Amino acid sequence: MNIALFSGAALVFLIPILAVLVFLVFYFYYSFKNKKKEITKEKQELTRRLYELAILKELGERVGYSLDVEEILQIITGSLRQLIDYTAVGYVVITPEKIKINTHIEQSVGSLFLKEMKEKMLASLSALTNESFDPATLDEVVSGAIVVDEIKQKIGSLFNIPLVINGKVVGVLTIAHITQGLYKEEDMTILYKITGQASEAVSRLQEVVRMEQGKLNAMVESMGDGVLMVDAQYRVVVANPAIKKIIKFGENKNLSVFDFVDSLGGKFDIRGRMEEVATKKTSYLSERINIDDSFFEIGVYPVLHALLKGESQVLGVVVVFHDISRDIELERVREEFTSMIVHELRSPLDGIKKIIELLVSGSIQTDSEKVKEYLNMAHQSSASMLELVNDILDLSKLQAGKFEVNKESTNIREIVENRIMFYKISAESKKLSLSSSLSSNLPQTCQFDGQAVRQVLNNFISNAMKFTSQGGSILVSAFVSNPNESLPADLAKEKFSVFPEVVDLGIKIPSLCIVVSDTGIGIPEGSVKDLFHTYKQVKLSHSNNESKGTGLGLVIAKGIAEAHGGTVGVVSKEGMGTSFFFTIPLS
Amino acid sequence: MKKILVIDDDQFFAKTLEAALPTDKYTLISAEDGEVGLEKLKSEKPDLVILDLMMPKLDGTAFLKKLQESTDLPKIPVLVSSNLSSVKKISDVMAMGAVGYVIKSDESLQSIVQDIDRVLGEEVKKQQ
Repeated sequence: MNIALFSGAALVFLIPILAVLVFLVFYFYYSFKNKKKEITKEKQELTRRLYELAILKELGERVGYSLDVEEILQIITGSLRQLIDYTAVGYVVITPEKIKINTHIEQSVGSLFLKEMKEKMLASLSALTNESFDPATLDEVVSGAIVVDEIKQKIGSLFNIPLVINGKVVGVLTIAHITQGLYKEEDMTILYKITGQASEAVSRLQEVVRMEQGKLNAMVESMGDGVLMVDAQYRVVVANPAIKKIIKFGENKNLSVFDFVDSLGGKFDIRGRMEEVATKKTSYLSERINIDDSFFEIGVYPVLHALLKGESQVLGVVVVFHDISRDIELERVREEFTSMIVHELRSPLDGIKKIIELLVSGSIQTDSEKVKEYLNMAHQSSASMLELVNDILDLSKLQAGKFEVNKESTNIREIVENRIMFYKISAESKKLSLSSSLSSNLPQTCQFDGQAVRQVLNNFISNAMKFTSQGGSILVSAFVSNPNESLPADLAKEKFSVFPEVVDLGIKIPSLCIVVSDTGIGIPEGSVKDLFHTYKQVKLSHSNNESKGTGLGLVIAKGIAEAHGGTVGVVSKEGMGTSFFFTIPLS
Repeated sequence: MKKILVIDDDQFFAKTLEAALPTDKYTLISAEDGEVGLEKLKSEKPDLVILDLMMPKLDGTAFLKKLQESTDLPKIPVLVSSNLSSVKKISDVMAMGAVGYVIKSDESLQSIVQDIDRVLGEEVKKQQ
């Protein structure tokens, strides 16, 4: 009886325990199964995400350096197959020339399906851009599986994603499926991510390109040389204002290479050179080409893009018009100067040589008058050559900025009187009157370089003597002039109709003025401007056989006056007379 | 006795040439520029002209041109004597009818006299 009771009691305990145990086992089992499911699901999710990232990365790399919207859309649609299930995928893109629709069919569909898809794509684009599109201007491409008319299935699901670059809608990406309700907003996040990424990349790239182009344009616009650049199809890509001026086009005309060919005529085969440079990948520099009044050196250069493997691709051709007119002018002046100097030195030297030859040959009696005459001639020749050499030296010092002017307290009256005395005899032999007029307003001494001023006076006085005929007069006057006052009244210049006014003197502060006036033949108006800075002697009639001189004296006079901070100038009337003057500011 | 007209603004040259020329064969007249030269050409009718190129008023090249183009000026042989030595200048001048070109500074008086002798000698031969 007790055993039965005991087992009965044990059973009563055991059953609930068993029940609990069974319950627990079932609980853990299901829990475990669920967990496993969850983990699998998570794993799937993770795999998918990794996959997505990998695709995004790959797309990023492929899209990254392209600015071609169509190319980008093609890349995207090409890779979508791995991520999303579709019957057909397509894009519509706005290009400068037209609207392009590109559709790729994964599984065969009917033409009805295709037509509807296209309509939906265009409608979406219209809605986004607020524009309508004429179906006639569309460029359509269909690829992939064939269109089978018998298939009557219609679109079940469709999804459009716009492609926005720099705030502007440039195209629409569409996926379509025959099954309904496939594409839900949250499933399409991957598509948004892709297009978003592409859009951002392209926008940024466009911005960078725009900035760089802006810099390049600014640089080219400001260049003095004319720059023309064409692309590989010879379309004008860059034409700066300088080149438009050279070829004489208006500012806003659209240029083509033919405009240049026309304008250059036969002077330069621009088309031929561009082709040559593009094919041979070398540059070309022309000789000087004359266009109107200017001279240019024209350079033609290929624009090369280095590819891999050391090859290069020709992207275009650049033509640069470099203005060398100034260089040529400088060259000409220098040549002129050299030949003038050579001639001026050769003649007197040859004269001396021949005179010596005569004396040595004994053709002349050694103590005759003739000998004296010849020796004088030789002396004169050598003196004039020395003068020329000194002038050249002074001129080169002036040009190098090394001409030194020693300002000292000097008495201008003494200098003028001294020069008058020096030239008196020579003037008398030519029957010219030479006098001075020194105003009472001259200070006792002024600050200037006496030697230099003497040199200028020599030049002015000897010029006056050369160009004044017998019976004429020369006057050397010196006075102080104030900018807003008239000339002093005590100048004896009645005989001289050509005399500078205060305004001619060009002074800004009270200055010492020295004027050498003559009643000579005067200087033609057109020649006046060249007087102080070319090396040509002004072509005037010579009254006798004086040595021609080189015109350097006036250039040096200008240099001396300017080294003192003063001015130099001339007033002249043909047939009446001339006055050369220079001024030195009084400190 | 042959008459020689020297057209040159360098009076030294005319004087020294005169001294060098044998006085029994030649007399010399001079002109200081092309204009005076043309006048003296007409009035004096020399046998030879010695012409410089760089002169004021009418220079040597212009003088030659005038001579070449005119119908009433006497056809007198012109010997150009100048210090200009550019080859272009020389060929231009010869093309304008000069019978010779002497570079003054390169030649001695003696050789210039010899040139004169030669030119006038040939002229005599031509006339015969």
